[in-house]
Amino acid sequence: MNHAFKGQCWLAALAVFSLSGGVSAAQDRPPPLPIEPTGVVESLPASYPPSWFLVHDAGFFHMGDGKVYVIDTAASTLPEQVKGTFNVSMIGNISQSVSRGEIYATETFHSRGSRGDRLDVLTIFDRQTLSPRGEVILPTGKRFMGMPERYAMVLLDNDRWLGVANFSPATSVTLVDLDTRKIIGEIPTPGCVLSYPTGKRGFSSLCADGRFLSTELKADGSLAKQTRTDPFFNSDSSPIYERPAIIGTTAYFPSVAGLVYPVDMSGAVAKVGEPWNLVPESERAENWAPAGIGLIDRDDQGRFYIIMHPGATNGSYQGGGPEVWVYDAAGKKRVLRIKLQAWGLTLAVSRGKNPVLMVVNPTDMSLEMYNTSSGDFIRTISGFGQETPLMVHGSK
Amino acid sequence: MKFLDKLFEQQTRQLAQRSSRRGMLKTLGGLLVGAGTIPLLPVARAAAEAPGHPVEEGDPGSCDYWRYCAIDGFLCSCCGGSENTCPPGTEMSPVTWIGTCRNPADGRNYVISYNDCCGKSSCGACLCQRDEGDRPPYRPDKTNDINWCLGTSSAAYHCSTAIVVGVAFEEK
Repeated sequence: MNHAFKGQCWLAALAVFSLSGGVSAAQDRPPPLPIEPTGVVESLPASYPPSWFLVHDAGFFHMGDGKVYVIDTAASTLPEQVKGTFNVSMIGNISQSVSRGEIYATETFHSRGSRGDRLDVLTIFDRQTLSPRGEVILPTGKRFMGMPERYAMVLLDNDRWLGVANFSPATSVTLVDLDTRKIIGEIPTPGCVLSYPTGKRGFSSLCADGRFLSTELKADGSLAKQTRTDPFFNSDSSPIYERPAIIGTTAYFPSVAGLVYPVDMSGAVAKVGEPWNLVPESERAENWAPAGIGLIDRDDQGRFYIIMHPGATNGSYQGGGPEVWVYDAAGKKRVLRIKLQAWGLTLAVSRGKNPVLMVVNPTDMSLEMYNTSSGDFIRTISGFGQETPLMVHGSK
Repeated sequence: MKFLDKLFEQQTRQLAQRSSRRGMLKTLGGLLVGAGTIPLLPVARAAAEAPGHPVEEGDPGSCDYWRYCAIDGFLCSCCGGSENTCPPGTEMSPVTWIGTCRNPADGRNYVISYNDCCGKSSCGACLCQRDEGDRPPYRPDKTNDINWCLGTSSAAYHCSTAIVVGVAFEEK
């Protein structure tokens, strides 16, 4: 018997011993796992908890593959945080309707990826399944396609209609009937862009000559009247952001220089109020000013939140900043100053009595959560597949 | 087109001045590759030109290049094109936004047209955001937040050029 053969015998004996030992141990083990069904797909509750956010990764490096993540910010582990996703192709925008249980997304596709026939579509996602439940084909080559906006779509008349802002670069709004999922018509908004809810059944758009164009609609969705307000800013020398925080029926539009214009949207025509300065007088020497992409949002307590940066310069207005300032809008007063962990580019605030603040940190594209009472940092949410989360929304 | 350049170019500068380099810039380091810190070998065109000829200087592959003052997007110079041409197989958008940039070599202000090149997905190299004179989308002539692949056969944005289209009026 050579050494190799001896070794094999020992191994065989060991195997037999182990097997018999294993059989005896099995008698002490719990019953085996039940056979599991295949093909099960999760769904979400009809009512999203306030801690849920929609994180829109526009896919800046692959725009045909944008994605929205539904994230539970109250959870502490990644598997608990990620509730699901849906795709939004070619830097679209989204809008949520709770009463209809739907999320609307403007999307663009080419028949062969980046080339071929173009299709622009309003996709209607089911909030519970995150699957398309319907769609409306939009006029080709018109829908607004750019940095994500909160008001490139507007829900009107108790969510009966949806206005989709166009920029081709001719500007207009395509009005969609959400009951029939048909286009009612297209309302030109010459020289003016986007759509902010106004009055009972209308919207306002922001114009190059520093005024609003307010559009009133008839009960059948046709155009009733359009009114241009007086100019209130100069788009060359004193530009404002096109991104307001809307509290009740007042839209707060920050200016690039650091003023905020309260605009009463309760009537048929936008009514611009007196602007006030976001920066306390004692701090103005530091040249603080707003900055960012989704730089402003509001909570249900009448406060708005805005990203600020010191040392503002020509060209810095979209770069974000190291702090978020919180204001009592009615009181025209700053109530909290939140120093971010690093930098903020975009923010959103959750609904409800105890809102939390989500800030996109562009240095690593993570999400940071902050307590809105104390300003304390809560946690970072990252590593869920996000690359360029340029816009975030509190769930409705 | 723009948005992210800020993260790469502009914020790098601001953060570098304001924060712990060890923490912040370490994380930024990975993102910075391909942004404004691409290898720059200044092209000294001015020196090569005879007197009496138009002059300019700088590296079109660098975000600091004078023509890019209002840009926000991927530099076509890094994508197979140049500061005034599109990469092979793309299509130049006929409509666009403009900026007014000062040419340091002759001290003149020029109107720069930032025509996007379209038809392929994002170039991904040399992301640059300067935004000087940029305005929100209610000023279409001055906004780089829009996907300017308008009037092209494909809406796919690839990169941005910076074409001299005129001498700007002198400010009085």
